[in-house]
Amino acid sequence: MDLSFSAAQREFRAEVRDWLTTHVPAEPLPSMDTVDGFARHREWERTLAGARLSAVSWPEEYGGRGAGLIEWLIFEEEYWRSGAPGRVSQNGIFLLAPTLMAYGTEEQRRRFLPRMARADDIWAQAWSEPEAGSDLAALRATATPDGDGWRLAGQKTWSSRAAYADWGFGLFRSDPATESDKGRHRGLTYFLFPLDAPGLTVRPIAQLGGEPGFAELFFDGVYVSADQVLGAVGAGWQVAMATTSSERGLTLRSPGRFMATADRLLDLARGSDDQALRDHAVRAWLDAEAYRLHTFHVATRPADGAELGARSSLMKVFWSELDLRMHETALDLLGPAEPGPWREGFLFALAGPIYAGTNEIQRNIIAERVLGLPR
Amino acid sequence: MEFAFTDDQRLLAEAVRDALAKSCPPDVVRTARTDPEARRGPAWRALAEIGLLGAHVPEEHGGLGLTPVDTVLAYEEIGRAAVPGPVVETAVAAPVILCSDRLLDEDRDWLPKIATGEAAISVRTDDMPYLLDADLADLLVVQYAIGAALTGPDDAELTPRASADPTRRLFSDHLGHDGETLVCWRVGPEPHDPEGMRPVFARAFDHAALAVAAQLAGAARRLLDDSVAYAKQRHQFGRPIGSFQAVKHQLADVAIAIEFAAPMVYRAAAALTEEVPTASRDVSAAKVMAGDAAHRAARTALQVHGAIGYTEELDLHLWLNRVWALRPAWGDDRLHRARLRAALLDGKGAVRWP
Repeated sequence: MDLSFSAAQREFRAEVRDWLTTHVPAEPLPSMDTVDGFARHREWERTLAGARLSAVSWPEEYGGRGAGLIEWLIFEEEYWRSGAPGRVSQNGIFLLAPTLMAYGTEEQRRRFLPRMARADDIWAQAWSEPEAGSDLAALRATATPDGDGWRLAGQKTWSSRAAYADWGFGLFRSDPATESDKGRHRGLTYFLFPLDAPGLTVRPIAQLGGEPGFAELFFDGVYVSADQVLGAVGAGWQVAMATTSSERGLTLRSPGRFMATADRLLDLARGSDDQALRDHAVRAWLDAEAYRLHTFHVATRPADGAELGARSSLMKVFWSELDLRMHETALDLLGPAEPGPWREGFLFALAGPIYAGTNEIQRNIIAERVLGLPR
Repeated sequence: MEFAFTDDQRLLAEAVRDALAKSCPPDVVRTARTDPEARRGPAWRALAEIGLLGAHVPEEHGGLGLTPVDTVLAYEEIGRAAVPGPVVETAVAAPVILCSDRLLDEDRDWLPKIATGEAAISVRTDDMPYLLDADLADLLVVQYAIGAALTGPDDAELTPRASADPTRRLFSDHLGHDGETLVCWRVGPEPHDPEGMRPVFARAFDHAALAVAAQLAGAARRLLDDSVAYAKQRHQFGRPIGSFQAVKHQLADVAIAIEFAAPMVYRAAAALTEEVPTASRDVSAAKVMAGDAAHRAARTALQVHGAIGYTEELDLHLWLNRVWALRPAWGDDRLHRARLRAALLDGKGAVRWP
């Protein structure tokens, strides 16, 4: 056991910290769920990309630095510590990209990844449908062969970032015979599509905070060429599960984000004489530490780190409930005082137990696939 | 960054697990409620044979000279098997104190006896009210505000105290001092040097608290395993109760609590091994989080087992009582939370390690 960082890792941390200190905007950017805010966040992503910091763990040829998992965790710690803007590119960089690396063709990787790294394309995800939320395999949107390509039809919803994004990714039923209960995980295909394609209507949906953080997508015979199928036709479910494992575990919500929140929470608690809230803050800080150490533990064992599988559900429940607890404690500490960014953070944290598979679904997965309880 | 255990460390834990499966089945733990011999019985001898009792005794005194990182997984196994007897006191706390250069050379004669299993030692600091298993100990090591004492049990006036776990006998000690000077009990070369012994006892306290945290994690794993097994086998409404979401979700929460408490325990072991400045804080964090995970595991285990779990007919109560006894041992939550508040909210603020 060696909990020290190597000289190269310490140097990398110093470089990132230094760069962020000089480049992070002094004033917080407007919400990325507004037209102006989205554009400003895209600009910020380009600034990051200019320093090859937008996707440090990617191979250099796609715009990354070929950094290892520990370096990526260091980057994340420094990123969130610095108070840098939220990542408007996250759906692409952290969720789609790992799937593209694993299942995409070389042509697809060269076509999509460098543009994603530079925020030329910002990606939205399109999983849920009105009748397929937690029960994603109940999805009904279809893909019908048309010449060399496909026609997409149906409706997607709760599509994060779709109000202003450029591209989307999601699952469609390419074999209608599989809609029955038994075969429904088969016959799904993973598609990549531009959000301005003819026949595709995007209807923004205002969220709890008032801004359109997600949208509904209506597909009316949207043509998609064959080179925009990710993975094999009919293998979409397996391909999608690789994304959801990234989403629930390491890549979407790295420890750095929660460590930064926990530090700010301790600062608040230092000014309070409420012993109960001070204890809550201390416990939350320790939980953020636990998530960090757990991540180092996982990252040390590459066999587990690469394919977290069902264990990523343990992480998702833990970080989403920790995030919410921290913001609740902060608002309690503030009382009637101006909540500032804690209010926005609270609203964002409230979504955590719902997106990326509700925590009820995660607990089912833990019970059935980690503990082996019967379905 | 290599936050993982070596093969040797895993093998030691496996050896402890295998040895305890034979020497410390639930029947033996049960017997320890009434028979003092069982608290120093086959499990004690098995741990001595593997070298675990002497793990923290320096090699020149007949031990293995291992570090907390080397043994933390083994202590999880001791918790998993609910081993009775003053293992932590004898094998973890006592060696730290007896190795202190503030004691006499002859005091170090105890060290080889610890390694062979010949000596059982009970230890407490002045933060702790009671001595564990003092009735069967060969030596008592006690810290008082006015000094430290080493003595045989016959010289101490011991009063039995109620214990949450009948396999763990607690005693308060009396004749230690008359308020000003230590009487009866022999102390180190500096009888009135309470300050000099303070860091020694503080170090022993941290090492013992870590071992207890590891035992709590091990007990929690055992409780989860047993609860999952029971939920698969017990049928109601024509289905295993483990197929009901209300049961599943409780067990999932136990799995989550253990999953994230364990790395805190391992980090505390590393912090003590490397003697980093945050070590005491990291031990307190490990103790609180492992204690919470174990308590959740215990409550859930009882709920999942239902009425049969609320009896002595099943073995479950042995682990329930053990968890509830270990949580306040070597610093209750109040003490450890106070240490955490002091470390994180006062002074120069929260330092991360690594």
